[in-house]
Amino acid sequence: MPFVFELNRVTKRFGTATALADVSLSIPEQHVVGLIGLNGSGKTTLLHHLVGLLLPTEGSCTTLGMEAASLGPEQLRRIGIVYQENRFLDWMTVQQHLSYVGSFYRLWDNDRQRRLLDLLELDLSARVGTLSPGDVQKLGLILAVCHHPELLLLDEPVSALDPIARHRLLEFFLDLLQEDHCTIVISSHILRDIEQVVDWIVCLDAGRIAVDTGLDDLQERFSEWIVTSSNGGLPSQFDEGFVCEQHGSSAQAHLLVRDATGHLDTFRRKHGAEVSTSPLNLERIFPLLLKGGQ
Amino acid sequence: MLIVVDPHSGVPVFRQVMDQVKFQIASGVVQPGDELPTTRVLSSLLGVNPMTISKAYGFLEKEGVVDRRPGLPLVVRRFRQKELEVSRLEHLRGSLGPVITVIQQLDIDEREAVSLLRSMLREKGK
Repeated sequence: MPFVFELNRVTKRFGTATALADVSLSIPEQHVVGLIGLNGSGKTTLLHHLVGLLLPTEGSCTTLGMEAASLGPEQLRRIGIVYQENRFLDWMTVQQHLSYVGSFYRLWDNDRQRRLLDLLELDLSARVGTLSPGDVQKLGLILAVCHHPELLLLDEPVSALDPIARHRLLEFFLDLLQEDHCTIVISSHILRDIEQVVDWIVCLDAGRIAVDTGLDDLQERFSEWIVTSSNGGLPSQFDEGFVCEQHGSSAQAHLLVRDATGHLDTFRRKHGAEVSTSPLNLERIFPLLLKGGQ
Repeated sequence: MLIVVDPHSGVPVFRQVMDQVKFQIASGVVQPGDELPTTRVLSSLLGVNPMTISKAYGFLEKEGVVDRRPGLPLVVRRFRQKELEVSRLEHLRGSLGPVITVIQQLDIDEREAVSLLRSMLREKGK
């Protein structure tokens, strides 16, 4: 399957600060990628490289088969992007702004625009400058998808939205996949939201890729163990390499483990303990990803 | 066919879908020849990524649970009685696993545990 974009050993420095450090990443078509990481981990910088807004200090970035720095109107027309901080023309009404941006595209989909305005309950006659942060985000989203992009980049697209609007929007992203077969990259801190729609996770940690893997794979690799010993003989500290986090007493321990399924029987026998295992969701896996990557 | 998933449970959604399809076949709710909802329909119904549903369906086909027909929805394969029996017991075994752990953690006598199970089964049967 061809790659929608490819970063090849990209390093980006701003003065003495390194925002991206030797990042290599290839995303095939039609994936929905969750780009996660702490504040300042390089998520926005990475997204800006994909459309040539920033150029790598070292390495190269290819988007839609072309060097990101030389993307022209033909390629940019196939990309939709929602910035974390939108800059719009405040004096226009929502209606005017939509027509203005729409006029740059040959294939602006007015039906989709109408559908989204209804779905997100955005008032056409309101002045852009008077919109709430949530409504500005809604406008940004509508502007980013009505030209049927093949690649949609969303930088914290739902942070200011209420739960109902967020839910509607996530469902709309799924429709987009069905209708346009597009590739979506969503950077977000709201892990519960992205858990529902993404199939791939890229986690940045201080400018490096900590994780680049399928969500299913990630979910199957991490779990929670409740360890109970009948004779109170548990060690104060488990030294098994697969234990990421632990606390407990000699009788019972609570462990968060990585890639440990194959070790379960040995572990039970060694410690004379019973183990009940349960899965972890993305919110609980996330802190573990920053503690030593894959 | 009713399929319900929890995207936040930590269990991969494709696995939840597979388990539920197999459970419904084992329990007879879904019969041989019944059609599965299309990827498109099921993914919008559950509000999850269509890739996830294709993955579940791909595995179900590989495991011989369903048959693919060009251009048509997947159908549930015809199973031998023996196969269904095995699969029913497998499901039960999976569900009893955590119960066994609790029995051991609470250090409950085997006879006591079995007799509790038996009496609870009788109660339900009434």
